[in-house]
Amino acid sequence: MQQGDGLPTIEKRVTQAQIERYADVAGDFNPIHLDTEFARGTQFGGAVLDGTIAHGMMILAYISEMLTMAFGEQWLNSGNLKVRFRSAVYPGESITTFGNVKSVREGDGFSALECAVGVRKSNGETVISGNAHVNIPFDN
Amino acid sequence: MTIDYSMLESGQEICRECVSLDADSVAKYTDAVGDCSQLTSGDNAVLAPPMAIAALALGAAINALQIPGGTIHAAQDLDFKKAVAVGAVLECTATVGQNSVRRGWRFLVVNMTAAEQEGDVVMQAKSTIMLPV
Repeated sequence: MQQGDGLPTIEKRVTQAQIERYADVAGDFNPIHLDTEFARGTQFGGAVLDGTIAHGMMILAYISEMLTMAFGEQWLNSGNLKVRFRSAVYPGESITTFGNVKSVREGDGFSALECAVGVRKSNGETVISGNAHVNIPFDN
Repeated sequence: MTIDYSMLESGQEICRECVSLDADSVAKYTDAVGDCSQLTSGDNAVLAPPMAIAALALGAAINALQIPGGTIHAAQDLDFKKAVAVGAVLECTATVGQNSVRRGWRFLVVNMTAAEQEGDVVMQAKSTIMLPV
């Protein structure tokens, strides 16, 4: 890949059922993700679609999936992510990952890529933003 | 036992727990996040999604901390060091990084490490969470 190249995008629609399955596998039962009335009493309340919000780590998993698609096993072996969670995703909303290669530096036998990555909602609102780094061996 | 979050000190161990990345657990995870990557999902996947490791490590930490409802995940750093095979058992350790209060929220930084039983570190992570004060 070269500087400026875009990463494959992933589109997902988040559902409450999916949030509940994620809570179960991750062991995160924060009521803000599971209890509509509780969530509506927080600063995230009042959303049109529903009161709960998706786990940030669930949404972040989509970025990792995008990077796995782009870089394969090298992402698992050398991936680095540094992100901030900017806004909540509510059940029923659709999101899309985005990413592009910011820089490519040559290391000792590998290329070190830095990518800008994130997730946006269909209305353009940024949900997650940050950077990813991955090392790609020259013979890869 | 109620936790006094103001008493959490930098470097304090939060938990040390073994997590299993058995095929069933990985399948449940990939189903929950809708992972379509050929490398880490499906019946023939031999490698675990790295975010599954992160999710399990963080889950252990937030349960040990008895994180209150309304806690918000503000930021996340992740370093994946080594691909992990489905079936691996990892030791996940969490420690307090930083603990501060500002603007009506307690900012807690949790440092996490996941290592294979042979000792190789496969993941390091830092989670910044905001607890309602």
